[in-house]
Amino acid sequence: MTDQEIIELVNSSLAEEFELELADMTAETTIYDDLGLDSLDTVDMVIVLEGAFSFKIREEEAIREIRTLGDIHAFVIGKKRQLEAGL
Amino acid sequence: MTYDYVVIGGGASGMTAALILAKGGCRVALVEKSPRLAPVLRGFSRQGLHFDTGFHYTGGLGEGETLALCLDYLGISPGIETVAYRQDGFDLFRCDRSKFEFAFPVGYGRIRQSLCESFPGEEGAIDAYLEKVRTVCRALPYLSLDADWDLASSMQNLHGASLQDVLEGLTDNRTLRGLLMQHCLLYGVVPAEVSFAQHAAIMGPYYESVSGIRGGGRNLVSAFETSLNQHGVDLYCGSAARSLEFSAAGQIRALVLDNGQSLSCKACVASIHPQHLLEMVPDSCFRPVYRKRLRALEDTSSAFMLYAISDAPVEALKGANLFLAQALEDDAVFEAQSIKQSPMYIAASGYRAEDGAHQGLIGICPTPDSVTRKWAATKRGSRGEDYEAFKGEAMQRMLRRIEDALPEIRGQLTCVEGATPLTFGDYGNTPRGALYGVKHRIGQYNPMPRTRVDNLFFSGQAVAAPGLMGAVLSGFLTCGHILGHDRIREELKRCR
Repeated sequence: MTDQEIIELVNSSLAEEFELELADMTAETTIYDDLGLDSLDTVDMVIVLEGAFSFKIREEEAIREIRTLGDIHAFVIGKKRQLEAGL
Repeated sequence: MTYDYVVIGGGASGMTAALILAKGGCRVALVEKSPRLAPVLRGFSRQGLHFDTGFHYTGGLGEGETLALCLDYLGISPGIETVAYRQDGFDLFRCDRSKFEFAFPVGYGRIRQSLCESFPGEEGAIDAYLEKVRTVCRALPYLSLDADWDLASSMQNLHGASLQDVLEGLTDNRTLRGLLMQHCLLYGVVPAEVSFAQHAAIMGPYYESVSGIRGGGRNLVSAFETSLNQHGVDLYCGSAARSLEFSAAGQIRALVLDNGQSLSCKACVASIHPQHLLEMVPDSCFRPVYRKRLRALEDTSSAFMLYAISDAPVEALKGANLFLAQALEDDAVFEAQSIKQSPMYIAASGYRAEDGAHQGLIGICPTPDSVTRKWAATKRGSRGEDYEAFKGEAMQRMLRRIEDALPEIRGQLTCVEGATPLTFGDYGNTPRGALYGVKHRIGQYNPMPRTRVDNLFFSGQAVAAPGLMGAVLSGFLTCGHILGHDRIREELKRCR
């Protein structure tokens, strides 16, 4: 998957499961203020990403530091590359 | 009149939540589908003897221990009398194939000693295991009132190593590993699926003290009823909760019951199977991903349960339970499909009111709910002759297995009642008759007390842990979210 494909899959998965408008979703969009998610949604965000990319997320610290959609993109791309490298 | 809180579900967690909120100064209504509160915890009588279904024994009721403090706080303690189990062996494990036996004693010191005697050379693994259990219990905020409150640890618990992985890392002795896994019958999740932390949080309190309650679950429910009455909680029994009504601002404003009655309220605690709550609210109140998560929640196993009267009290079950396993070394037994191969739990029951002795027993055998699925659409009392024949045969098989394990009472037992997955579904109000409701397993995200709807909360074993202690603690956890954890934990500390 290219970075762009990953970004698109992140956005479309979140849009569907959280009923968000794709048009509102840019890398700078903050997930808590702009998209209106809160700490309760974190677990569901993890579930959506795990389902979309078929990996398990165990990096609690990294997840807690996520503020923008761009942070999520970077996290997923990093995770995907790690797995591809067999790490 | 408008209630501050309507609590849906009159089991141990719902009764607990209702009491805490009422003690906190709220006007509370408690709604239970059955004609009386807590049918599973209460049990029932046959031929003048009382049989327990949902409650047999627990940890945490020793002086100053967690569950005892909770019951003090709730005003329950004056109404009950605890009965200590046998200190030298509260659970007797017996293996059909190898004839290996082990009496699990009460107290970390005694457990260590007994395990070391049965498994020479395994002292290191035994010490490490017991220390790991203790460490988990010390760190949990309600289990240990002095622990730091750190919600972040909850995710770690879910995702930590499994019980099986931890035991395999500690020892190569399969019998020892198998023995320490057998208690998973008390929470209904197989060792490969349950996190070590969840196992430890449930078993730790049993390692410190083991108690029953004189007169069984019925006396416990009756003490709850007295306290609910004293605290002015209004009970609505005999009609199920049907739907929640919302204000234009998306807040709950009433609960409508099956009988058409509407209870106006400012907030709601749902102490029911999470999937049942979905049927009571419009789709729009939760996000699709959350609804999907709740719908996908896996339940614990269901079970067959036998209730039998014996000609005389069963000596082997005085102050102790019996766990039967085909082979301790074989993890597959936890998912066995037959009564002969499945593990079995046997406890004294059939309480005689006149002298407090038990003149019977109960046996529980985990079984998947698929065994009764073809009758799922039938109604209790009219499931048909083929169902009755199926249930009768299952009870006879359980009876024979118990007689094989306790030959001294062969021919003295009479089956007076039986339960199947459908029975558990009816009385526990779970969709598939799960013995312990929703599973707590690694990778499954159970609901938290808070939901997206500001004035709607979850409670019950799905949010904390199963068993009396799990259910009661879930009530405290949920009400802690509502009234403030510091306040509730401080008040609990004052009960010490």
